[in-house]
Amino acid sequence: MLLILLGEIVLNTNNKVKNSTIIISFLFILTLCMVIATAIGAVRVPFLDTIKIILNNFGLTHFKITNKRFDSIIFYVRFPRVIVATLVGAALGLCGAVMQGLFRNPMADPGIIGISSGASFGAVIAIALNLTTVSLYFMPVFAIIGALTSAFIIYRLASSKGKVPVLTLILAGIAVSTFIGALTSLILSRIAEYQVREYLFWSIGSLSGRRWEHVNLSAVPILIGIIILVSFSRELNVLLLGEEEAQSIGLNPYRARRTILFFSSIVTAVAVCVSGNIGFVGLIVPHILRLIVGPDNRILLPLSALGGAVFLLICDLIARIIIMPSEIGVGIVTSLVGAPYFLFLLNKSRKEGVAL
Amino acid sequence: MKEKVIEIRNLSFSINGKEILKNIILDVYKGEFIGLIGPNGSGKTTLLKSINGINKCKGTIKIEQQDINQLTDREIALKIALMNQNTIIGFPFPAEEIVLMGRYPHLKKMQRISKNDRDIANKYMKFTNTFILKDKPITNMSGGERQRVLFSKVLVQETEIILLDEPTASLDITHEEQIFKYSKEMSKNGKTVITAVHDLRIAAKYCDRLILIKDGRIISDGIPKEVLTSENIKIAYDVKAFVYENPFTSLIDFYTYDRKNLDKNIHVICGGGSGSQIIHYLFEKGYRLSCGVLQYGDTDFINSEIMGIDIIKCMPFNDISEELMRKNIESIMKSNLTILTNMFIGKQNISNLIAARYSNDLIIIEDTPIENRDFTGGEALNIYNELKKNAKVIKSKELQKFV
Repeated sequence: MLLILLGEIVLNTNNKVKNSTIIISFLFILTLCMVIATAIGAVRVPFLDTIKIILNNFGLTHFKITNKRFDSIIFYVRFPRVIVATLVGAALGLCGAVMQGLFRNPMADPGIIGISSGASFGAVIAIALNLTTVSLYFMPVFAIIGALTSAFIIYRLASSKGKVPVLTLILAGIAVSTFIGALTSLILSRIAEYQVREYLFWSIGSLSGRRWEHVNLSAVPILIGIIILVSFSRELNVLLLGEEEAQSIGLNPYRARRTILFFSSIVTAVAVCVSGNIGFVGLIVPHILRLIVGPDNRILLPLSALGGAVFLLICDLIARIIIMPSEIGVGIVTSLVGAPYFLFLLNKSRKEGVAL
Repeated sequence: MKEKVIEIRNLSFSINGKEILKNIILDVYKGEFIGLIGPNGSGKTTLLKSINGINKCKGTIKIEQQDINQLTDREIALKIALMNQNTIIGFPFPAEEIVLMGRYPHLKKMQRISKNDRDIANKYMKFTNTFILKDKPITNMSGGERQRVLFSKVLVQETEIILLDEPTASLDITHEEQIFKYSKEMSKNGKTVITAVHDLRIAAKYCDRLILIKDGRIISDGIPKEVLTSENIKIAYDVKAFVYENPFTSLIDFYTYDRKNLDKNIHVICGGGSGSQIIHYLFEKGYRLSCGVLQYGDTDFINSEIMGIDIIKCMPFNDISEELMRKNIESIMKSNLTILTNMFIGKQNISNLIAARYSNDLIIIEDTPIENRDFTGGEALNIYNELKKNAKVIKSKELQKFV
């Protein structure tokens, strides 16, 4: 549903055949990845059965499933995890593209405005207060409060007279993130070892054990946020030309930036709160796609969402099956792929002296 | 009277306590093509950005009778388009997409770019000769191409008022005047164009009206001839200049100079262009100069007149009268030095040669032998050879050694 919706938005804002072809093929790839990721695992379920089980459980069809055990594995263990991966990947990919456009900086990601450090701080408080054992929801809620609070503080610090200069925002972001990071470390040094391990597990970023509760928690805010952010793609294009150009065609760059920052903070915070800090998705996905489709946000934003979802699904699949029957955190996989790419990018931009 | 499109009253603007604009009062009428001139930092850009509401100022600005503070950003963008100075775009958008961004204020949220919008973009891209560039990324364009694309974007906004901030700064002469030509055409079609411009010759050539700003104040406002005077240029740019009509193009031209005043008089006997460079050199050196007798229309006459030098004048194709001869001799006698240039000598100007006898000190410039320059049948030759006895005879390039 999400994908069809995304496709609609893109097709409506861009009437070039080439771009719509790319979107449709990405939708196809994403669907394929979702089915494959659901089917593969410690217990291998045939693809056809996987599709049948999913459709049956949504009450759309009434296929006969031979192996009853498959039903619970597919629908209650793997499929919600795949959906969470899709949502989180889409959110991170999109917000990465948005941030890079907003800050006109290829190295920007949601971490710039303190989302990650704030979320970590929230999470560590939830752990320290032993709230994670009380309810599954405490950790995400604390994480999202932490993320939004730190984003708000950074924004307020950087703004003067209604204007928020990009450079000030980045510097304020670094300062506040470092400060919050220190507070997190301070708490970590004072809590029990099992709690530290719990935090570590969260902070690496993992999709392990994500269930329908996580889907329910994140689906609505992420989907709405994605639609809103994609609807700002024209404004983001204008902002890419610079503040002066935006002003002269009637777009208040400060107001637009504030609105876009607000929604991308929420979307990122929600994603981080259900999956922990999964690094590099927001960095590399938009970059690869920008090389394919160019800088136009009307196509880049929806594609980054789709691409982010595909990338995270694949990384999560690798994380699950690489040391079967055990698994590693998906954040480790994305970082193992992402960090070398980041260095390559850094090297390239230094050599060429220009931003991508 | 034409319709007033901009009315500015008592406009002031300060940044960090420093006043950039001071009490600006200005009326702009429909179809005018106005050049804002003035030295760097005089407030040209600030004034443009105030007119389209980017700078929040004291005082009132009315656009088509509406106070600018009561208009939203989008409403302003539908009335006024601004082309910023030196816009560098770091992202490889194709030209057509850049130009289409000018349609932004016309589109509602989520409204698609329509066929009509594309037609408008194509129309103006053809007008500015950028249609062939429509798929070329702006990052790969030359300065001239980029400025024309950005200018198209401003036109695509389809506003009544167009503000340009030094649209041709840093362009080579091939592209320098194009945007002014296009702007002139737009103003003829009823658009009001205000452009900041640093090249005074171009400003005078294209604009109907010039506004000279210095330290945030309008110090002159009117047609180019009224505004571009030596006095105004001295006040605004702190440079001495003669303003004259270029005889070749009949456009306003400038001759800027820097000279001290020396207490020494030099009289130059010249004609037919033989004296122009010498007079120019002596003028910049700071001598008090006179020259003559020269006929109206002579090259030396025109050039000396631009520099405001005393000329003893006679009508063309006339012999020099006794009265003028007497004046010439007086002038020569008053001068510490007389210079006789490498001029041709005929019946009409032989009396100039005779007058040279009265010089206190004489330098004769001889680049070509007198025999080749004498059109009097030997009369001049005799006088000339007699003059040479009491004079320094030099080549024109040696002049610097003697004065």
